[in-house]
Order: sequence, then structure tokens, then C-alpha cells
Amino acid sequence: MKRGHRRIETQLAVIGTGIAGFAASIFALKRGLDVAQFGHSGAMAYTTGYLDLLGVHGQRIRQDPWAALDELRRDEPQHPMSKLSNPTIRTAFDGFTDALCDMGIGYTKAGEQNLSGLLPNGVAKPTLSVPKTMLPGIAAREAGARTLVLDFDGLQGFSAKAFEVNFAERWPALKSARLTFPDMENRQVFPEVLARSLENRATQEALAGLIRPLLNGAEYVGVPAILGMHAPDEIRARMEHAIGATLFEIPTIPPAVPGIRLRECFERAFPDMGVKLEPQLKVSNVEFGRSGATLFLHGPMEDLEIEASAVLLATGRFLSGGLKSDQHRLSEPLLDLPILQPDGRQEWFRHEYLDPRGHPINRLGIEVDSAFRPVMPDGDPVNERLFAAGAILAHQDWVRQRSGAGLAIATAYAATEAAAAMLA
Amino acid sequence: MSAHPRGDTLDFLKVAKDLLPAGASYDACVGCGICASGCPASGLHGMDPRRFINMAMLGMNKELSTTPWVWACTQCKRCAYLCPMGIDVSQLVGAARGAWATEDKPSGIVRSCAAQRLDESTSAMGIMSEDFVEIVEETLEEIQENQPRFADLKVPIDKKGAKFVINQNSREPAVEPEEMAPLWKILDYVGADWTYSSKGWAAENFCMFTGDLDAWKEMVETRVDAINALECETWINTECGHSFFTLWQGIEKFGLEANFEAESLVTYYAQWIREGRLPVNSDWNTNNLKFTVQDPCQLVRKSIGDKAADDLRFVVKTLVGEENFIDMQPCRSANYCCGGGGGFLQAGMSKERRAYGKRKFDQIIATEADYVLTPCHNCHSQIDDVGEYFGGAYTVTHLWTLICLSLGILGPDERKYLGPDLADINLPDEE
Ligand SMILES: Cc1cc2nc3c(=O)[nH]c(=O)nc-3n(C[C@H](O)[C@H](O)[C@H](O)COP(=O)(O)OP(=O)(O)OC[C@H]3O[C@@H](n4cnc5c(N)ncnc54)[C@H](O)[C@@H]3O)c2cc1C
Ligand code: SF4
Ligand code: SF4
Repeated sequence: MKRGHRRIETQLAVIGTGIAGFAASIFALKRGLDVAQFGHSGAMAYTTGYLDLLGVHGQRIRQDPWAALDELRRDEPQHPMSKLSNPTIRTAFDGFTDALCDMGIGYTKAGEQNLSGLLPNGVAKPTLSVPKTMLPGIAAREAGARTLVLDFDGLQGFSAKAFEVNFAERWPALKSARLTFPDMENRQVFPEVLARSLENRATQEALAGLIRPLLNGAEYVGVPAILGMHAPDEIRARMEHAIGATLFEIPTIPPAVPGIRLRECFERAFPDMGVKLEPQLKVSNVEFGRSGATLFLHGPMEDLEIEASAVLLATGRFLSGGLKSDQHRLSEPLLDLPILQPDGRQEWFRHEYLDPRGHPINRLGIEVDSAFRPVMPDGDPVNERLFAAGAILAHQDWVRQRSGAGLAIATAYAATEAAAAMLA
Repeated sequence: MSAHPRGDTLDFLKVAKDLLPAGASYDACVGCGICASGCPASGLHGMDPRRFINMAMLGMNKELSTTPWVWACTQCKRCAYLCPMGIDVSQLVGAARGAWATEDKPSGIVRSCAAQRLDESTSAMGIMSEDFVEIVEETLEEIQENQPRFADLKVPIDKKGAKFVINQNSREPAVEPEEMAPLWKILDYVGADWTYSSKGWAAENFCMFTGDLDAWKEMVETRVDAINALECETWINTECGHSFFTLWQGIEKFGLEANFEAESLVTYYAQWIREGRLPVNSDWNTNNLKFTVQDPCQLVRKSIGDKAADDLRFVVKTLVGEENFIDMQPCRSANYCCGGGGGFLQAGMSKERRAYGKRKFDQIIATEADYVLTPCHNCHSQIDDVGEYFGGAYTVTHLWTLICLSLGILGPDERKYLGPDLADINLPDEE
């Protein structure tokens, strides 16, 4: 018995299945490129569902991300987003949210101002685009509307009572209650389990029937993010109708539904859109030749060889395996790309864990040129056909800057445009 | 099932070190719970995959060596698919199963494996080689006599040098021999050069599920020897998932010499349809009955990958009409195990098995499909059982049934797995 062997030819090979990788595939398809994408589970699984662009700059929370980007360009010229203009970033962001809407998960279009997305612990965070299922909650809070927030017996990751208590001063008309979810008595459940169950109409009706008697004049009803996995907007609309109040979702702590929704949405839609997607295989090796690169992957029964004219690296940071660290050094494990770094681990962290300036290690990563090609220490591109995007890039601190998705989307757009120009 | 008092206590950290490829490690677990959230066995016996890893890290070897949860985890590898660190709980579960004293293991799985070891037939239902040959011959004679179009139908056994050697789940010869006919008719229709093997023909392997590596190895060796002796190019695994995985994985794991390639029947259905040799279509589906399909974990996620899922969809859409096909969500490599795998169906733990299967049931109900197609016998039984138990109105059927239905060669006795709505559709002409 021989192991199977499969060869795939493609113009662009996208390595990584996080937001940067998926965004890159979407932009490449729009450019008419032939795309293949590879990866595994990663940081995207943990997202709240909110798409942040730039929520914090100069150690302050920012309402206007576009003005903050102007300042970023001035203050942090090496930041990956500083290489891009606001119109370019907006085009990228809109392209991504439009694609998500087309694939069945409604997202709001990027506005002029950040929204205050509700978080499960009862605070709000600055973000640019939110799932449409979560939007009414933002309006309810701003209006201080009469709102009922619910949780469920045995549910992990969200407490309605804690949410109510944390918002109590600013939002006195907010009340909470606990329900037993239909057919989920006496068990510990993750939000995912409830979301799967709500894919069924019978469960939707049963739950709406439990909520209705509790309304007591509430105009809004907030539930943890559990309104189905594959058609959340439809389910929200149907249940809202049945309940008779505006329904919205609140993100839960991971493992949460919004990240699973995104992953399953891409996995469901991409094959039909024409992307050759292998969402459970990591690339184990890449060799560059004269006219492109060969990627090597190993499935359970077969080996894959991908011949690509260009490669886009979007493998994320430590959690996703895009970067590695040992006692002394930070490295990029797939291509061993150079990483500019201080000598020794003691320089990676500041003394205070909560130092508002953040830790140097969070800004280490892959250096790229203006065409988003990884560069050697002398500034020359590592290879004309290699591009990089997303959290793996150096000179950004997306956690602190509240810019996770925005950074991924904007740099994926720029890197894909550069790859398309090279291939043209 | 309850925790067992006997058996060995494993050092799970050491087991993990021995099992894992270089660079991977359970220390990498960040405790995020993505695995537990996506595992239908979570919560059964108070356990879930995150907890299992966590307890292994804490050295709670006694608890892990005795928890009956290892028989509720179907080893479907969905956790490994979801985990950002690629941590695969199913391997530790396999090791834990092996540590149980035989007397304490679920007797259904142990008995099935013991039956397989009785005779070179390797049948879990205890059908000996001569019996199998006899049942096949009798069944064939009946078809030849009663179905004029198949008066010359052939079912070769032990035909050396045939292109394909094909296995057969024991359920058919044991309890419903007429259900072998659709497969034979398809092979006849495409003019396949094929054979059964009188030895090692059975398409099931519960020895892997007992956690007894020696028994698994012995089973695979018997089959590989039998297939090697026939000198066929390709071994085709019929509509079953785990018998495929256990064979190719066993060949790799135990370093056996196999002079054949291992393929799934689904791959060939797709190929024969593409080549025009199996001219199926959906003309028969005038009532636009809706169909969904189960991606067996053992065939898709654990073996061939999404390529098998693509083939499966191509076959089903051609058979029922694109507009009448509705995917379960999630599906393909991300699909949920039905709860029939890992020996769960044989383990006598119906309460837990059905609790596990509830997620599959919900998924099916959400499609509002009339029929569920299952290219695996265990999926078939489990999905049928949870349908009945939770009150689903769907019918579960095999691909070969629909293929023959579409070709107009499915006899009236071969419609056991069709609902009344299809009992009279496209019956063969009587001459
Ligand atoms: C807890 C948490 C919460 C978050 N919440 C938010 C939020 O509210 N809003 C927001 O905007 N952002 C949020 N994010 C950030 C966001 O999810 C991404 O981390 C960020 O957008 C970076 O995306 P990326 O695609 O660059 O990297 P990642 O998302 O890390 O993806 C990298 C991918 O590369 C794959 N990979 C790695 N090595 C290989 C290889 N060799 N071959 C193939 N594939 C490989 C990985 O499997 C992974 O799929 C959150 C992240 C975390 C961890
Ligand atoms: S998904 Fe992986 S990292 Fe997360 S808890 Fe499970 S095993 Fe640990
Ligand atoms: S192998 Fe399947 S059943 Fe077992 S822990 Fe993993 S996801 Fe759960």
C-alpha cells in the first residue's frame, strides 16, 4: 500500500485559516486569482465576533478609528497599518463584511465611529463592525431601554446576573433572569450546544414560549450568543417575531459561538466559491523555485504537493503556531524567516505585567516591505513571490490596540493586491 | 458501565510522549475548551476531552484508567480537528481502553472481537468462511432464478488476480442476505472485475475498539494476508467506515506489507458515474423527496479527508437531484460523529449513546430531510435508532439501494430501507 499523492496547481497559496487567511482568499477570488488555502484551527476560534479596527491609540480608547489611524501613521510609522491609507483600509473592511453577509452571516458596515460592543462581563469595547444579531444590544444600552437579559441553567461562559450587576448604575432598566433551556435539564452545556439545538424550529418556538411570559414590558431581550450557527439572522428574526420584543445576542467567553460560526461559514461557502480549502492540514514545508513555490502537506492517507505561483503567509502568532519561542529566541517555524529581536528573553517583557505600553515581545514578528513581502535584515525581500499578513507581522500589538480583525483584514488586502500585481 | 476496579493504571504523560509525533505535546493545552464544546461525549460520566487532558497533566492516572467515559468517546477525532494545538484525545482514550481488564470492558465489544478471532473469516457475527461462501451462493441462485435480468449474475469468490477485492459487512450475510444484491448488481452493471475473499472478508473490526493492540494487529494481519494472496490491485471497502480506517491505519501502525491499494467504494461510485458507466439520475424523484448525507468520521475526517466528502456529495446530488440535497451543518471533515462509532453501538450503554446521538439527531432534523444516506453500517444503525428514540420522521438508507433504484434494477425484496413512498418507484420490468 502506497500513501496517496495529490498535486494541486494554483496561482496563490494562502497559508493559514484565521481572519487574515480567509480575508486573503476572499480578496484573491475577487481579483480573479485561482486560490488554494490551508490551515488548522487557531485564534479565530476565540473571537467575540466583533471586528475591531483600532480601538486604542495613545493609551486612550478611541471613538473615531479613522482619526486614530491618522495618528498611528504619525506615531508608529512602522506599524503594518501605517503602510496603508484610510480609503484602502475601508475598501478592505467593506470587502470582508460584504463577503460575510453574502455567505449568510450579517455584519454591520464600517461606519465613521467605533461602536460600543457589549461584552459578557458587562463592559463595552470599541469595535468597528458587529454581527447584526448583536447590534440592537448596543442601541438598547445607549438608550438605557427596558431590557431583559437571560441566561440558562448549566450554561458555561455567560451570567446574566453578573451582566446586570456590572451595568446596574449606567443601565437601571436592565433586568436579568435565568431559564432552563428546552431539553437541557440538569446538564452543564457550552453555548455551542444550545446554538446547534436552536437550528431547529421546534426549539426556537419552545424557547420563545418560555421567554414571552417573562417580558414584563421589556422592549429588548438579550441572550448569550446562541442563536443558531448557520443562519443566525433568520433565527433572530423568527424568534423576535415570536417573542414580541427586539432580540439581540451578547458574546460569551470562549469557547463561544461567533468564532465557530465564522469558521463553519467559510468552510461551508468556500468550496462552492471555488477556493480549494483544506481546513485541517498545516503546511509542513515550503520550497521556493524559479517560477513559484512547492508546498508540502501530509493528510492521514495522502501527501499533497501544491505548486503555487505566489504564497501568502498568514499563520498568526504563538497560539496558532505562526511564531515559536524557546528559552532564547523567537522564530518563525515554517520558513525560518528572520525576526529582529533583542538578545535574550529578559528584554521581551517589561517589569510590570500590566504596563500600559505593553511588552516588547508582542510587537516582534515578521518584517515586511511596502509590498508586504517579508524582508531579510538588509531590507531585501526574502522572495519575490512570498507575502505575509495578519498577526504574524511585526510592529503591532493587536491585543492592546484592539485591532485584531482590522489588522488581519487590511494587511491581507494589501498583501493580496501586491501578489496579484506580481502575478499580472 | 461503572468505573472498574481491576486492570492497569497507565502513566498518561508517558503514553502521550510515546504516542505523539515530535514537537507535539499535551503541555501545549491552553485549557480553552474548544474541544469540549465541540464534542458530543462532553458531560457523559462527568467527563469531557479538556478535562481528560487536564487530568492527564495533573497525573490523575488512576481516575483516567478507570473512567467508563473512555467507552463513550467514539474516538472520532473531532477534538483534534478543532484544537488549535492539534491535541488528539482519542489516542489517549485508545490507550486507556487497553488498560481495562478484559472482564470489565463492555462485553459486547469484547465478544465481537472474540468472534472475529475464531475463524479466518474475521466476522464479528461469527460467520465462518464456508458459511459465507454458502450464503453467497444461495443468495445468488435465488436472484438468478427470480430476476431474469440477472440470470447470469456472477459473484466471484477467491478469484486470484481480479482487479478488485471487496469486503462485506457481516450484517448482510447474517441477517439480511438479500441486501447484498444491490452491491452485486452495481458491480455487474459497471462490469467490474472483482472478487470476494473467503478469508478476511468481513467489513468490521471491533478489535481496535477494545484497545487491545495485539488483537487489532492480528485482525489486520489475517485480512492483509488473505488480500495479498489474491494478488488484486485494489481492496475496496464497502459502505462502512471503521473497517476502512482500521485496515489502512493498522497496516501503517504495525508496519505490514500490503501489495494492494486501499480505496473506498464511494470513490468508485463517483468515478463510475463520471465515466458514464453508472448512468444514474434523479428522474425517479418526482416528489422531490429531500435527502441529507452522513459523512462517516472514519472515512472522511480520519482517512480520506474532504475529497471523500466531495465524492459523496457528487454521488448523492446526481442520485437525488441537486435541489433535493441538503447538507447537515457542520459537515464534511467537521461533521459530528453520530455516536455509533468506537464500538458504542455494541457497548450496551444505550442511555449515553443516545445522549451523544442527540446532537446528530438535531442536525438531521434541522435539514428537514425525508431520508438520511449513510455510507457506513454503524452510522446507519445509530441514526436509525436515535431517529426512532427521539421521534424523527426520517428514513435511513444505503447508497447502493438508491443507485439500484435509480437504475431501475432494485427488486421489490431489496427495499427494506426505503419508506412506503419509494416502495413502488422504478420497479424492474417483469418479463
Ligand atoms: C481570545 C481572543 C479573542 C479575540 N477577540 C477578538 C475580537 O473581539 N475582535 C477582533 O477583531 N479580533 C479578536 N481576536 C483576534 C483575531 O481572532 C485574530 O487573532 C487576529 O485577527 C489575527 O488573525 P490571523 O489570521 O493573522 O491569525 P490567526 O487567527 O492566529 O490564524 C493563523 C492561522 O494559521 C494557521 N497556521 C499556523 N501554522 C500553519 C501552517 N504551518 N500551515 C498552515 N496553517 C498554519 C493556524 O492554524 C491558524 O488558522 C481575538 C483573538 C483571541 C485569541
Ligand atoms: S482545544 Fe486543545 S488547547 Fe483547547 S482545551 Fe482542548 S486540548 Fe486544550
Ligand atoms: S474523539 Fe470525538 S468523542 Fe472522543 S473526545 Fe474527541 S471529539 Fe469527543
